[in-house]
Amino acid sequence: MSELARVDVEWHGDFPVAVVTGEIDASNVAEVGAAVRGLVTNQSSVLVVDLTPTTYLDSAGINLMFSLGDELRSRQLSLRLVIAPDSSIARMLKITGLDKTYPTFPTVEAAL
Amino acid sequence: MPSQHDELHKLRALQRVADVALAYLPLDQLLNELLERIAEILGTDTAAFLLLDESGEWLVATAAKGIEEEVEQGVRIPVGGGFAGRIAAERRAIFIEDVDHADILNPILREKRIRSMLGVPLFVADVVIGVLHVGTLTPRMFDSADADLLQLAADRAATAIERARSFHQRGVVEMLQRSLVPEELPSVPGLELAARYRPAVRRGGIGGDWYDAFTLGRGAIALVVGDVMGHGIGAAAMMAQMRTGLRAYALDGHPPAGVVDRLNRLLLTLGQHEMTTLSYAVVDLERERATLVSAGHLPPIMRGPAGETVVLAVEGGPPLGVSVAATFPEATFEFPAGSVLLLATDGAVEVRGEGVEAGLERLRALVEVSDDLSDLCLNIAEGAVRGTAADDDVAVLGARLELLPDTLRTTWPATADTLPTMRPLLRRWLGRWGAAEDEIYDIIVSVQEAAANAVEHAYAPGDATYEVIGSCENGQICFQIRDRGSWREPRGTHRGRGISMMRALMESVDVTQDEEGTRVELRRTLGREAA
Repeated sequence: MSELARVDVEWHGDFPVAVVTGEIDASNVAEVGAAVRGLVTNQSSVLVVDLTPTTYLDSAGINLMFSLGDELRSRQLSLRLVIAPDSSIARMLKITGLDKTYPTFPTVEAAL
Repeated sequence: MPSQHDELHKLRALQRVADVALAYLPLDQLLNELLERIAEILGTDTAAFLLLDESGEWLVATAAKGIEEEVEQGVRIPVGGGFAGRIAAERRAIFIEDVDHADILNPILREKRIRSMLGVPLFVADVVIGVLHVGTLTPRMFDSADADLLQLAADRAATAIERARSFHQRGVVEMLQRSLVPEELPSVPGLELAARYRPAVRRGGIGGDWYDAFTLGRGAIALVVGDVMGHGIGAAAMMAQMRTGLRAYALDGHPPAGVVDRLNRLLLTLGQHEMTTLSYAVVDLERERATLVSAGHLPPIMRGPAGETVVLAVEGGPPLGVSVAATFPEATFEFPAGSVLLLATDGAVEVRGEGVEAGLERLRALVEVSDDLSDLCLNIAEGAVRGTAADDDVAVLGARLELLPDTLRTTWPATADTLPTMRPLLRRWLGRWGAAEDEIYDIIVSVQEAAANAVEHAYAPGDATYEVIGSCENGQICFQIRDRGSWREPRGTHRGRGISMMRALMESVDVTQDEEGTRVELRRTLGREAA
């Protein structure tokens, strides 16, 4: 993956947490998407995506989260987002309604 | 008294050795042809060239007649030992009348039952580079005329060998230069970069200086100038490892001090003893700052926007590869728009018999009066600071943070890769109008939504471009994003949020379409609550 963003996985018991560090835009959304989707398993009913270390997210990234949520739902799985409150990322979720569609949490611990 | 016939014979012999036509032969053919002619003129059964290897400690059989096995088996004779080794060590012609009783190391000479031998050293500028010797299977007295003729052939060969080597070395240098220094410097909007590498073409080989520049994401650019001590292919190969290691650690996200610390430990684990010095700088375009780490390297030079130029006091650490306990502190400096940062190797300033301070001061003074960055780097590489071209190799890298104009006019290739590259430039430009963090973020997202659309709807993936023009009037930021494609509402389930985001984040969004293409105009007044 380019130096723009990195996806790390943290396991909290059976729950995978995808930690997205860096910036997501049209230039790397496909790579980020592939990395996050690679963490989806049927062992866990939940996928947590931690966007706290994400520093840039435009509509490409927002669209990715909506698509990911749809895909998970079709498999009876659920998407939970971790967002730093009052951050620019939180503002983007708000204006697109992503925060109304999927539950958001201020910390990974709260999301589990 | 030599007869007239003898004199004529000698003259012919000299002409055959000095034959100009030989100069046009490739080196190996030239050596073999010289051996043929020498053996024929002197009536010997064997003739051989042994050349000094890169270490300067061994003679290696390079061309042979009558004892071809020497070359095939790669016979090596230590300088100072054996017949050829003595010639090289004592720098004089040696004649052995009866080989059986002499100190001969080479078993091939014994097996061939060579009886008498004559050998001379090959000189280039008073330095021995090899040995030429001839031998006979029957006892033979060589006289001083034979030795003179052999020396003439040796001189002839030495000149050709030196020429071929410097030609070959130039080729190697060029190849290394091409493969080890960046093919081209990264293109970073708002940052001008220039660099030069000038190899020292001299006996003993090329040096281990290098420069590198690469982007680190989020408006950070890494600049490197380093110097692996020593010369030759070994130093160049070590340089390649250092360059790769540094890039790997930097791209892994380590801060400058962490990168240099890891590189130090890497060098120590490689078990090499080539000491390396380097300057590593990370330029933060948005914050207009540079963080520097030095490992025993020539300090960087900084020229401020008003021209004031200083040698930066970077405390730094020792050279790499010296101690596992070494630490490499970071030093951060303001790097305001209009400033120049210059990194160089000591080959740029070093004059023998002079302290480095004097050269550094001349470098500082040169940077102070130089307005053109490319010319500056070229001049430094060509020896402007020293007064003459350097006998060591030189690497120099300069960066200038450009002043941003009131109206920002930029043209971008229609690819998505331009989006992350554009962001630091937009942040800097918005920052200079006093935009707050949130405002900067909102405006950038909006501009990039329009830019992403231009990229998506560009005519062809080829050389299509789009323009981004930013201006500010009475505290209102206006951006125009123009392309030659036609706007289409994105289709698909999770597409098309870009437009609604733009409308939510900006005061006004106007999309104009005509035969020339699509123009999106975005406006937002700074200091006003967002929608």
